Amino acid sequence: MGSDPAGTAVVSTLFRAIAVLRVVVLVNTVVLYAYRYDRYPHAATGAWALAGLTVWTLVALWAYDDARRRRWPLLVTDLAVAVGAILLSPYVKGDGLNATLPGFWVMGVVLAWAAAWRLTGGLVSAVLISAADLSVRDEITLSRWPNIFLLVLGGVVVGFLSDLLQRTAAERDRAERAAAAAAERQRLGRVVHDGVLQVLALVQKRGSELGGEAAELGRLAGEQEVALRAYVQRETSTPAEGTPYDLGGALAALGTSTVTVALPATPVRVDPVAGVEIAAVVAECLSNVRHHVGRDAPAWVLLEDLGGELVVSVRDQGPGIPEGRLAEAAAQGRLGVASSIRGRIEDLGGTATLETGSFGTEWEFRVPVR
Amino acid sequence: MNQAADRTGIRVMVVDDHPMWRDGVARDLTEAGFSIVATAGTGTEALTRFPATQPDVVVLDLQIPEPNGVEVTAELIRQNAAVKVLVLSASGEQNDVLEAVKAGAIGYLVKSASRPELIAAVDRVAAGETVFTPGLAGLVLGEYRRLVDAPAEDSTAPRLTERETEVLRLVAKGLSYKDVADRLVISHRTVQNHVQNTLRKLQLHNRVQLVRYAIEQGLDETEE
Repeated sequence: MGSDPAGTAVVSTLFRAIAVLRVVVLVNTVVLYAYRYDRYPHAATGAWALAGLTVWTLVALWAYDDARRRRWPLLVTDLAVAVGAILLSPYVKGDGLNATLPGFWVMGVVLAWAAAWRLTGGLVSAVLISAADLSVRDEITLSRWPNIFLLVLGGVVVGFLSDLLQRTAAERDRAERAAAAAAERQRLGRVVHDGVLQVLALVQKRGSELGGEAAELGRLAGEQEVALRAYVQRETSTPAEGTPYDLGGALAALGTSTVTVALPATPVRVDPVAGVEIAAVVAECLSNVRHHVGRDAPAWVLLEDLGGELVVSVRDQGPGIPEGRLAEAAAQGRLGVASSIRGRIEDLGGTATLETGSFGTEWEFRVPVR
Repeated sequence: MNQAADRTGIRVMVVDDHPMWRDGVARDLTEAGFSIVATAGTGTEALTRFPATQPDVVVLDLQIPEPNGVEVTAELIRQNAAVKVLVLSASGEQNDVLEAVKAGAIGYLVKSASRPELIAAVDRVAAGETVFTPGLAGLVLGEYRRLVDAPAEDSTAPRLTERETEVLRLVAKGLSYKDVADRLVISHRTVQNHVQNTLRKLQLHNRVQLVRYAIEQGLDETEE
């Protein structure tokens, strides 16, 4: 029997389906018996036996409905009733027995065993009932074989299915519990992170106001704050579905106390190859800003998802790239940073636009997606 | 705007569950001349103290004990549509910031902002101006794009004009309103108006959505 709640629930459903079947086969048996009532030597005894079978069926329907009652006494009694009814058949119906007294009714017992005790239950009950069936025959002929074969096969198949259903239900239940636990951990993580973020932000703010050594501490706290915030953003926007690479998260991770990253609230998921390349190009632009403008020069990154197209902008407020330098680099046969950046974006099927002047330098990458 | 005397008429409530922060922000604002009329550590406290003290500006942390900052924003605006909510958040929760803005907050500042930035932000919010970080502009742009992409069932979804998109993109790329004005050769006031419109349209849409939801759920019917 399913020891876990999910497995038990599945078995209960199975038993409810079997209950319907048991009523159908009972009616079938009773009607067939009534139709041929006149032919039997001890018809009255048989009628009483069928009345008993009907009462037992109702009791069994009630008993099987509760997992706590689905134990060996019930199942063994059920089987005993079936075997008893079969053994009574020769007396009621006389010689030349065609069908046993319970007839197809025994199917319900085999399926109950299969549902409760899986493959073994189905097999054992089917074999025992078949043995009882054969024992009451005058002669054992091959004509009995199809019924026996079907009964054993049915018991085994339903037993196997019951086993499979219980396992699947248990697994699904475990997976759901794991997902709930992960969500709770994530929620707790967010609370903890928020507290840390608060303190880091406070240290940064107060530190820079106090100046001196405190300002240095403040600056360090500020760097950690940005790093942690990027981490939290990535953590909370990573449901395991859709295209795998979260470009928003990757760009957020490039944020520092001087690099501001602006993103949409919904995750931007792209093909991993394009995503990694775009993030790498942005990182290269930012590294250029550090080299040519200054270590603490501010820079801004903006990611927009236009549906069919991604737009990534990287801007700084440096002196701009001096006029003629790009052309000069090209003339000397050097690729230069700018054309390398342009080439990498064009390899992705996108376009790269560079605007530079006294206002600073601004890259805009447009890359088609999907 | 630097003299303390200018600001005594501006009534401010500070809501933050972190006592160090709450007191620090309140002290900074008091020193700058604002009247701190209330402080609160939870959403419930904020909602209780709000009607009695009638602040003009609420400086609000989003991560507070229930009800959270987004719900508090919505309720404060419902009680008094004229109140200005400035979100001050350390959190990485971008969705919360966006929700607070849709609920009616008109400013957003990260907690690590310097004291002058905070004071300037409260000044501007008190004057009814929006306070945008590049991050918030990115979120708002993304939200409009999301509304455009959303299934066509909603024809009332707001759209940005070309100019508004242009302005928001520049703000998201870190340009100050003044730089934006210079770049587009328009006045500072016009930039401010464009930014304000982008928020107002989102907030209006949000309110319409809420009412529609309420009607669908039968919440408008009085219980018998």
